[in-house]
Amino acid sequence: MKVKILLLLVFLFPFQIFCQSKNTIDPIRFQIKNAGINVDGTISDWEYEISFDPKNLIDSKIKATANPQSIETGIKLRDKHLQGRQYFNVEKFPEIRISSKRFTSKGKGRFVGIFELQVKDVKKEITIPFAMIKSGKNQRFSAEFTINRLDYGIGESSLVLGDEVKILINFEK
Amino acid sequence: MRPLLMLLKSKVSTLFRRYWVLFLFPILVAGISIDGIQKWVIQYGSDIPKVWTDEAIKDWELPNFNPEFSAKPVSAAFYYNLPERVIYKTYTVYHPDHEPEGYWDWLHSIDAEIELDESKLLTEEDFVKAGELLFDYPIDSLGAIISKENVRDVGFYEYSEMPLSKDGIMPFARWIVTGKGKVYLGNLSCGMCHTKVMPDGSLLKGAQGSFPGDKAFAYGLQKAPENDVKAVSGFLFSSPWAEGDPHGELLSKKKQDILDAYAAVPTGAFGRQGTSILFPPQIPDLIGVKDRKYLDHGGLGQHRNIEDLMRYIAMNQSLDFLNMYGSFNPLGLNDEVINSGKPIMFPGTYDRHSDKQLYALAKYVYSIKAPENPNKPSQLTEKGKVIFAEQGCVTCHTPPYYTNNKLTPADGFEIPEEHYDKYDIFDISVGTDPGYTTKTRRGTGYYKVPSLRGLWYRGPFFHDASLAKLEDVLDPKRLESEYVPTAFIGAGIKNRAVSGHEFGLELDPEDKKALIAFLKTL
Repeated sequence: MKVKILLLLVFLFPFQIFCQSKNTIDPIRFQIKNAGINVDGTISDWEYEISFDPKNLIDSKIKATANPQSIETGIKLRDKHLQGRQYFNVEKFPEIRISSKRFTSKGKGRFVGIFELQVKDVKKEITIPFAMIKSGKNQRFSAEFTINRLDYGIGESSLVLGDEVKILINFEK
Repeated sequence: MRPLLMLLKSKVSTLFRRYWVLFLFPILVAGISIDGIQKWVIQYGSDIPKVWTDEAIKDWELPNFNPEFSAKPVSAAFYYNLPERVIYKTYTVYHPDHEPEGYWDWLHSIDAEIELDESKLLTEEDFVKAGELLFDYPIDSLGAIISKENVRDVGFYEYSEMPLSKDGIMPFARWIVTGKGKVYLGNLSCGMCHTKVMPDGSLLKGAQGSFPGDKAFAYGLQKAPENDVKAVSGFLFSSPWAEGDPHGELLSKKKQDILDAYAAVPTGAFGRQGTSILFPPQIPDLIGVKDRKYLDHGGLGQHRNIEDLMRYIAMNQSLDFLNMYGSFNPLGLNDEVINSGKPIMFPGTYDRHSDKQLYALAKYVYSIKAPENPNKPSQLTEKGKVIFAEQGCVTCHTPPYYTNNKLTPADGFEIPEEHYDKYDIFDISVGTDPGYTTKTRRGTGYYKVPSLRGLWYRGPFFHDASLAKLEDVLDPKRLESEYVPTAFIGAGIKNRAVSGHEFGLELDPEDKKALIAFLKTL
């Protein structure tokens, strides 16, 4: 029996390593299609101020900033280009800002937030469905939403690069 | 009667321009093909563009890396005062060992024959055919690069490693006969640089050419006095405002050092006027040029329409020797001399193509198609295609042209604010050698993103032709200072890094193989 368990562990161990993609631990990830292939990226430098009480949504607040200079897509020169003026223009706009306006509950730890998202000098109101799971004193937030990069002046229309960027948020506070 | 006819012609022309769709309808109903319509339009409906107007010339080219030394070309008045070129019949140049018996005497016995009658150019086909003739037509008979003596000397072929076609023809120059006994070697056709002798000895017109121009030039210069070598090299390359004045430094050396610099330029690159033999440009592939928005490696000439290509041809067939760069002129002239009304007897500066000839030439260049690619899609190339996308190559080398048609700044160049609106900028340097675009007359501070179409018949690679094969482009060792470049190295240099464009270097060997296999299908 012990041997079987050991064998099972030996088998599972590399499988778990394989499954543990870098993405699961990055709080801000994004995906965009480039020539039909998903390009994954992260923004690792970010800060938040959260006061979220599911029982008091009216007074709840979520506010965060992300530093586009910390973008990583696996190709350094591409990252540098994304930081340039034709994309995030980090010299002029060092922060991406998001700030909640109001929330509604969708039941069982699910919510919808209306946020103001500012990328570069463009502010837009967006709707983000998200989940919040409480674990002890901590709250784990997860969300997935899509924006059109052209709405925010991120690059230009392209034959190969998609307009839509999927953003995946996952963190615990 | 004549004014009445002209009025009628003008009215018909106006009607046609306004209501061309209505004109097309009955033609389509009658079953005439689109091709037929195109020919008809060339014949009756279109005007040949006026290529050299002061307004158009003013901002057609990008400014120099040092903007105060941006080219100031000759005026429209000067240009149209030049006589139009007469296109004589030209004849094949053979390697001396392959020349048919009696050919040389026969050439001297025949009369001049004018080969192009512009009044007969009516259809698209006519223009393309005439364009091909003009593509191979040498604009110089003064021996600008190679001479009559050179091409009749076996040693010249050995020294320059001159490729020959399968019939022993030297395809990069033509004999021009301007009268009985008047046989000149014609240089400076488009085809001189843009013709490739393929491995089977066939010719591929429009491709990155295989004329070993600088080696061939060096051979001819061996007998020239040192001062003449320096003078002609100055005409070709001087850009005294460039930081460190590398060409000035070259010209301060001995004759043999200068000849070595010429001889170091590999086949597939050529230090044409305004460029450099220290930072030699790879000869561009013209096949597919219709879809490219900038011309020259530095993107010097904008290519927005056929007129721009016509301008480029006119300018590059040596008229840029008359440009002023600040107060500097490559031939040592000044505005007063240039505009004195006297011909400037330098190759390509005392006559010009007519606008109709340029139109035909451009039409031909647009019409050149690549031969059938022997590299067919396979499982390996499909894998390479995915790697191409995964590695982000598509961002710059975007299908279907495999270029995004943008300009990337070289290291050391700060993009002026107004360029973002005027040009197509991809605002990141890929770190390749900045010498060509920062230290030459044609330098703009940018490199254009090259198309990858036709890689299978091209090479050497990179804008300075440093790398012979695609495998070398993906070899990380090329970034090391001990690396020996596989094509252009530079005179007196044993090893150096080939920096920049550091993509795909870390791929494993199988992925590299797949990527290269894919690239060769383009």
